[in-house]
Amino acid sequence: MRLVQRRKYHQGITTEKKKYRTKRRQRDIDQVFEDLQPEKRQKLENQPLDLDKPGGGQFYCVHCAKHYIDEIALQEHIRGKPHKKRVRDLQEKPYSIEESERAGGLGSYVVPVKEVKIVEPMAD
Amino acid sequence: MRIEKCYFCSSHLYPGHGIQFVRNDCKIFKFCRSKCHRAFQKKKNPRKVRWTKAFRKSAGKELGVDPSFEFEKRRNAPQKYDREAWVKTVEAMKRIEKIKHKRSSHHIMQRLKKAKVLDKEKDIKEVQRNLSLIRSPAAGLKKAQEERMVEEIHESDEEMMAEEIEL
Repeated sequence: MRLVQRRKYHQGITTEKKKYRTKRRQRDIDQVFEDLQPEKRQKLENQPLDLDKPGGGQFYCVHCAKHYIDEIALQEHIRGKPHKKRVRDLQEKPYSIEESERAGGLGSYVVPVKEVKIVEPMAD
Repeated sequence: MRIEKCYFCSSHLYPGHGIQFVRNDCKIFKFCRSKCHRAFQKKKNPRKVRWTKAFRKSAGKELGVDPSFEFEKRRNAPQKYDREAWVKTVEAMKRIEKIKHKRSSHHIMQRLKKAKVLDKEKDIKEVQRNLSLIRSPAAGLKKAQEERMVEEIHESDEEMMAEEIEL
């Protein structure tokens, strides 16, 4: 018999697992990149009233794909670090399936140029 | 049969291997192993993860742009069987593979060569910066003192000569 019995050290740690479940999946960065195109963005920022969504769907951050309950909460979020980081990440063209194939030898891999887009603050 | 590429690390994906994720906009993401799948779930950017092909090519560590990469392509139209074309293709594949290998190894050798020059520059800079560790700062003092003594003797000699002439 072993002196030290094996214990279940990771039992009960469910938060990490739950975070990555498909059920909790949010919009990927390449989807958000498409959302930021002017036409789509206009639509997302002026959504019809939907009482199932937080804040009736009236306070939506396009970059982070998140609804907020009111204008104050939205502005607080925009001032924060995670939002700024997200904006910075979105200045570059996102990685795609096509790029992964080119990196694997299906065609030349041209280094993606960092597109510096001026991201204007959200319309009030 | 089609050999796919992994979304994350761009390695080969043979039939019966890996896992795929179909996003709700019908895009199919294929992964060669759980390592890549997990990294995708964690929303890691393959361009910033050092072990992926995308990183190695975007950082210039491997040859990325070359006409030899243009042969391998996704061809969705089925080709009619033609023995001659088949034989030729197999021959060409071997040849292309050889050329590709040669060019990519040349690219690596060029990089190694440059690293040698840069390393030498760095070493020289480091030695110059920390020269006091090798050579004592007082090393030159003794010699300088001796030289000064010799000069003084010379000067006194000249003075003596001048006095003698005057006499």
